[in-house]
Formats: sequence, structure tokens, C-alpha cells
Amino acid sequence: MAMDLTVNGVRHSVDVTPDTPLLWVIRDHLGLTGTKFSCGIAQCGACTLHIDGKPVRSCSVPVSAAVGKTVTTIEGLSADVTHPVQLAWIELDVPQCGYCQSGMIMNVVALLNRRPNPTDAEIDAQITNACRCSTYHRIRQAIRLAASRISTGGRTL
Amino acid sequence: MSDNDRTQQELSRRDFLSTTATAAGALVIGFWMPARAQGQTVNPDGAAWSNESAADEVNAWVVVAPDDTVTVRIAQTELGQGVWTSNAMIVADELQCDWSKVRPQYASANRDAREMAPKWTLNVMGKGATDPSGGGEPEFGTRDRTGVTGIPDSLYRRMRTNAAASVKDGRYYLQLAGAEARERLLLAAAKTWAVPVDEVSSANSIITHRPTGRTVTYGKVASLAAQTPHPNPERIRIKPPSEWTLMGTEQKNLDVPLKVSGKTVYGIDVKLPGMKWAAVKSCPVYGGKVKSYDFERIRKQPGVISAVEFPIPDPSLIRGRTFGGGVAVIADSWYQAKTAIDQMPIEWDVPPQYAALNTAAIRAKLIAALGEPGNVHVNLGDCNDAFSGAAKIVDATYSVPYLPRARMEPGNATVLVTDDRVDIWIGDQSPQETRYSASRITGIPETNVYVHLCHLGGGYGRNGNGPQAEQAIYIANKNRGTPIHLLWTREEDFINTTYRSIGVARLRAALDNDGWPIAIEVRTATDAEAPGATAGFDVAPRYFAPNYRFSIHSARFHIPVGTRRGVGAPAQHFYRESFMDELAHATGKDPYLYRRELIARTNLPYKADMIKALDMAAEMSGWGTPLRQGTARAIALEERGAEDGHHATISAQVHTVSISKQGEVRLLRVDVAHDEGFGLVNPLTVKKQIEGQIVWFYNDVMYQECNVTEGRIAENNFDTFQLSRIKEDPPQINIAFFKTGHWLDGMGHDRGTSIQSGIADAVFQITGKRYRDLPLRNHDLTWS
Repeated sequence: MAMDLTVNGVRHSVDVTPDTPLLWVIRDHLGLTGTKFSCGIAQCGACTLHIDGKPVRSCSVPVSAAVGKTVTTIEGLSADVTHPVQLAWIELDVPQCGYCQSGMIMNVVALLNRRPNPTDAEIDAQITNACRCSTYHRIRQAIRLAASRISTGGRTL
Repeated sequence: MSDNDRTQQELSRRDFLSTTATAAGALVIGFWMPARAQGQTVNPDGAAWSNESAADEVNAWVVVAPDDTVTVRIAQTELGQGVWTSNAMIVADELQCDWSKVRPQYASANRDAREMAPKWTLNVMGKGATDPSGGGEPEFGTRDRTGVTGIPDSLYRRMRTNAAASVKDGRYYLQLAGAEARERLLLAAAKTWAVPVDEVSSANSIITHRPTGRTVTYGKVASLAAQTPHPNPERIRIKPPSEWTLMGTEQKNLDVPLKVSGKTVYGIDVKLPGMKWAAVKSCPVYGGKVKSYDFERIRKQPGVISAVEFPIPDPSLIRGRTFGGGVAVIADSWYQAKTAIDQMPIEWDVPPQYAALNTAAIRAKLIAALGEPGNVHVNLGDCNDAFSGAAKIVDATYSVPYLPRARMEPGNATVLVTDDRVDIWIGDQSPQETRYSASRITGIPETNVYVHLCHLGGGYGRNGNGPQAEQAIYIANKNRGTPIHLLWTREEDFINTTYRSIGVARLRAALDNDGWPIAIEVRTATDAEAPGATAGFDVAPRYFAPNYRFSIHSARFHIPVGTRRGVGAPAQHFYRESFMDELAHATGKDPYLYRRELIARTNLPYKADMIKALDMAAEMSGWGTPLRQGTARAIALEERGAEDGHHATISAQVHTVSISKQGEVRLLRVDVAHDEGFGLVNPLTVKKQIEGQIVWFYNDVMYQECNVTEGRIAENNFDTFQLSRIKEDPPQINIAFFKTGHWLDGMGHDRGTSIQSGIADAVFQITGKRYRDLPLRNHDLTWS
């Protein structure tokens, strides 16, 4: 069945069953492999992307839920790795294995879009993605750095 | 133009240096943005990668392009430990090249099967672990053709990524490789100018003829250097740490720009023309296999192509471990294959002796084993005599559960078998062994096996990779000509991994009237196959007792056990350091000063370093200053190799922990004093490893366990197997390094183990309750 999607500003039509998880359409049919599979049950957040700007765990969202909406993946965050969150991640050398970081970054971007200067409690409540290398210490520092850049530099996300 | 050429050009175009002004404008970040494909991408013909060629290389590790770009071949797998950066730093420091132009690339495991290592890499120079100008004392320093007990003589020597040994074992020959290449570049420049080579020198990729001031860059003489053999490679010396210029500085990891933009190619991301996907189900009871399955029930489902039953993977190919047999369904996409196999009826042939086994029975058997004679590893003095004359006896039994690594990337491999060649794309910590497996399973010689390394989405113990390659090779061999990408579900990943063994330990101490041990007896019990069973207790007690006995008791279970982060140290450090806390409390002594005094009484070779670590950590933490009610500090020693005068890594940590009356634990602060030996290659990577391991072991002490029910592992996804999140990361982590007089015994491994005893002791200090079995979430931590 043809599903019409807009992903990172590009319109696609894919022929899949409507209950196929969005994750697998993004990875297999559109070839955008930055979004990761890990648990398959919406526990870990490695598959986080945005639908209409809101973070979702795409392993557990059917592709039909994204039809007619705007999907953004890590590949669509910036063309040249210049998003303030990406730059903060590079500056603080956040990733270790890196496998969870696409989903982590997408969730952080969604948080900063909503709360440009989040409190620690807001970070704790919203950033529930799992990182097995436990890079959390630098993640929190990088969120702070990105937030300060956004507020002082005026760059919108 | 061939497809290969076209791909190479595309790669070059996509390989760019991005220099970006930050929003604040003051700071300019420059970083190399590697092409997605650099050393990782499949060429269109699905065959050789860009790194298989020996053309124009100065030596097997170093290629210098005309534009001065330096490619450094990395024979270890990047899995978050930073080896792509640290190994490149080792080569680049000796090469004296421009670090901003260094590009790591995976070494070819196929060339490793075809070529022998240069003679100058074969023997470690220097006088062992305490000689700063030598090559240290590699863990796998002995030469062994098979690579099993030592290091092979094949081109890239040791391609394994394990035992925290990537820097420790490879440093000397990687330094030699950088130095050999530098000296040949200098020879080429001298030849070009017709001057004596001792009149030229280099820095930052620029060669200077000192008498005239003429210069030339590496890139201009590289092809001549490639044809200029070193006349006397045995005479090459390596830089001691006092001469390092790049090593020892904090360098950001070279692949981070890829990792923040979704461009890193992990094994799961590999896609080939004509590739099909395989979802598998393995017998969840180890040693079991398929009795029957009904493919007809799913044959007509969308995308489904075929099913392949596979036997129990040959244990001799996977370090002796027995997993289950199973069945794979092959389909056009993975989700189709997974959906179909979920609906396919499968009956298992489960070994009856395992079918009723559960955790309680396994633990009871280990507890019973503690009472048996066991295997006595150390017996100093006469413990029995000392116990009969003790003023006080402290006796404690501890226990830890089975634990998997649960890396974030589920196991996977992509394999193409044709009549005379095997290609495997995989995140793999033992490519040489996988090459051998491929040859054994397909009958195709190892020289025709190409293992194309991908980054791994987490490592934490080589054994835990399980039979991902062996299953995929078997299935692809039944579908010759079609590339098969096997991918486990999270649940399959839990089945197909090795586990840190369940363990129990009984520690007894006989104390004198002043509270000092006159005897310590340690009995540990794990699965007989569990690696690392001697860690922390072998040779001599770390905390002095004139009479000391250490015995290992074991039983054999069917759960496959293997190396998980820290191997034996996490469990044994938990036992040992918890027991020291218990002794200190039982005798009314300060746990820091009690440990300090007992280390001072030993003759251990690195006791001064251990005392230094304790003193530094205590001072950093404000040890002894008042804390609020409900908050406590605990200290512990972490050591690897403290007993025998070889390599060692020594650290101490103080944990400041609060517990609410409702029993909520919060790790507030960790102060870490850490051995840097003669020098750390990349201190930034070491700090990152320490930070990560703190939360890793927080997970272990608070949450994680796997139980056995009806012969199978009960917890098989992140809903039942809990992972810590950012809210549990301690707000404050302070790390300080101190120099010592030995080479380090590795990093990325067993630091942070002391979180376990630290939190357990904080629970005791705050609530008055002493829990000796992990994880602590199983216990009541409330207090009033």
C-alpha cells in the first residue's frame, strides 16, 4: 500500500503495509540509517526522530501515523553538521560508541526547541534515552553548552 | 572509469574540512568530516574496500597522499573506546606528521591472511613493564602463529580488540611503524636533494634540510619513500614518554563528527545490491536445537523468500561456548522477515537436564561448592591456626548475578559467499577468528575471506559478540551468490551473548585485639569456565594478613559465560572492598585509614601507588568533613596487576551517596585518583572511559541481573533489564591523574568497580542494613 511521507523536506511514496514501524521505512526503504534500531519496544530511544517537531520512538510508531506529517531524522538536522547541538556534542567529545547518539541528539533538540534553557530536573525528565557507554556526564554539559549558545548567539534551532 | 574509481572520486568530493564559527563567534571549531565511506563503505561490486590495496603505502600502517593526508591503518575495532584516535596518535607522534591531516582507516584482515608482519615488529624492545623507553610488556606479547595464546606473525599482528590491551599491546609496534615510515620519508628527501640523511629532519609533515633551510612536505616524497626500503630497521628506536609531542595530549575522537550526524557505518547499516535480510530464532535454552518448524504457514507472507535451519554453532569456533541451534527466515526486508518468523510455529528440542534449571538451584549449587575443598590458589601461613586464636571473626557471604553486556547495537553480520570468496561486513572484535570461522564453514581458504570491519555499537567484552558471524556465514553459505544481512532482535541478542558468570564468595577474617587481620580466607565460586576468576585475590592479599588463603570453587552450568567489562574484577572487587568496609566498621576504624594501613603492611610492588591513590581520592573528596544526615562517603581501591610487578592500573575512588528515607539512592559525587603510569596516550579518552564506567557499575550495583527460568534467561529486553538514565549520572565527577613508574595495564575495562561496594556501604552507613547480594533494587533501602 502506498504511503506518502515527507522526510527531511523530501517527499517519498513507499509501498509497505500501514503497520510497518516508521523506523524500518526510514532505514530500509529510504536508506536513512542514522536512526538506529536497538530494543524494538520503545524503551531505549535509539530510534528517536521527530514527527511535526515532536520526538517519537519510531520503532513503535506505524508508518501510517506519519502520513501527511513532517518527519525529521538526524540526517535532516543540518546539512553540514552545524546545528548547535551537534557542535556542542563535538566540542565536548560526547559520543563513545555513538550508537545511541542520533536518538539522543534528536530528543535533546526537541527539548531545547520547547525549553531553550532547561533546568536539570527538566533534562532528567525528558532525556530518558539510554546510553550503554553512559556518556551522560558529557551529554548534560553539552546540553548546557548548546543552550547557552542558543540564548547568547540568537541562533534558532 | 571503473566503478571502483568512480566511488573513490565520490568519496574524495565528500571528504571535506569543515570550519565553523560558533554562535558566540569567539571560538572556531575545525574538524575533519570524514566521508561516510572512508574505510567503511562497500564498493559497488560488493568486493574489496578502499583499504585492501598496498599500492603507494610507506608501510602497512602509513599511506601519505600527495596532499599530505596521512592514512593510518587501525587493526582494532572502534567501539567507543577511542582506539581509532589513540592508535592513530601513536603512529602519528612518531611519524611527526600534521595531526589535522590524519585519517584512520581499518586495516585489511584479508591482507593479514596473505602477508607476514615486517620483522622489525616481531619482538618487544626494552626491559619490560618498568622501562619507560621500551615497549612495555604486552599481555599477548609472546608470539603464537595461531594467535590463541599469543600474538601471530601475520601482517597486522594482533587484530583482536579485547583485554583492555589495544594500546598496551600494540603501542610498541605502532610506534615502530610510525618511526619506520618517518625515517624512510627522510631518506627519500635526502635522496632527492642528494644530501646525507643526518642533515634532514621533520616536524608537522615538513622535512627540512637544516644546512640550507630547504623544505619539502611528506606528500611530495611519499611515493619515493614507498620504494625506499629502510636499510637498518632493527636499529629504529621509539620515543619514550619524555619525547612524546602528540601522545599525552587530549585529542578529540576523530569519528565524532560522523557520530553526531548519523553517518557512521555500523554493521547494521550495511546495504549491498541484491541483499536479503535474515531474522532468526535460536533455541533459548543453550544446547537446544530446532525439533520442527512450519515454513508453509508463513511462505506467502509479504517479502518472505525462504527459511534456513542452522545447527548449534560449532563451539570450537566461538571460544568453546555452546549456544543454541535455530532457524532463519529470509525476506526482502528485515521487518518482513521478523514479522514472519514471529508467526512461524517452531518446536524446540531442549536438553532435558536443563529444562527445569533456575537461578535458585544454580546459586545453591555454588554456595554448596564453597564448602568443598576447591582449588587452592594461594596459601600463605596457616589460616586454621590463626582463626582458632582470633579475638574476633568476621564472616560474610556475597553474591552477584549473571550479567550480559547488552550493547545497544544488536548482533548482526552481512555475508556474501560465492564459489571462491567470502565477504563479511561486521562490527567484530576478533576478525582473524571470524576469518577462520568463515573458512571452516564454507571450505574457502582464509586468503579468500574478506572481513570488512565496521564500527561497533558498543563492546564491553569480546566474547559477548556471540555467534553473529557464524550464524550469518552458515545461512549465506546456503544462499551462495546472495548477500545475506542477519540481524538479531534485542531478545535474540540476549540469547546469543555470553554472560558474566553468576558468583558467590565467602570471606572470613580473624582479627587481633586491635582489630587488624591475622588471617583472611577467601573462597569464590563461579561457573568453571568463567574467565578472570583470580582477579583481585591472586598471589598475595592486597590488604595485609600474615595468614592468607584463596581458593576457587566452581560448578559447571549451561549458560555460556565470557568476558564482560572488567572480566573477573567487578565481582571480586565488590567482594573484597565490601569486606574491607565491614572489617573497618566491625572494629570502629576509618575505612580509608584502615585500608591505608593494611596496604602499607604489604610487600606488594606497587603499594606506594595504591597508598597514593587512596590519599589523593580521600583528599579530593573532603574525606572526614561533616555530611548531612542521609549522606555518606565510601572509599575503595581499584587495581589491576598490583600483585606481580608487571603492568598495573591503580586507582581509588570516593563515592558520596545520599539515600532518602523512602530509599531513593543518589550518587552525588565521585572523586577519582587514577594512575597514568609513564603516560596516557589520550587522557581525554581515559577520562571519558572513567565517566562512563561510573554509571556502568552504578547499573550493576543498583539494577541489573539476569535470572534463569526453565533453563533460559528470563530478562531479554530493556523493559525487564533496566538501564540507568541521565538522571542517575552523578552531578560531580572529579578525575585526577598521578604518574607512576610502570606502564599501564590498560583502560576501558575495570575502573569504577568500586561504585558497587561504595553504594552498598553507604546503604549500611545510612540505613544500618548490610546487603551482600546484588542488585540492591531487590532490597528495602528505606530508613527512619
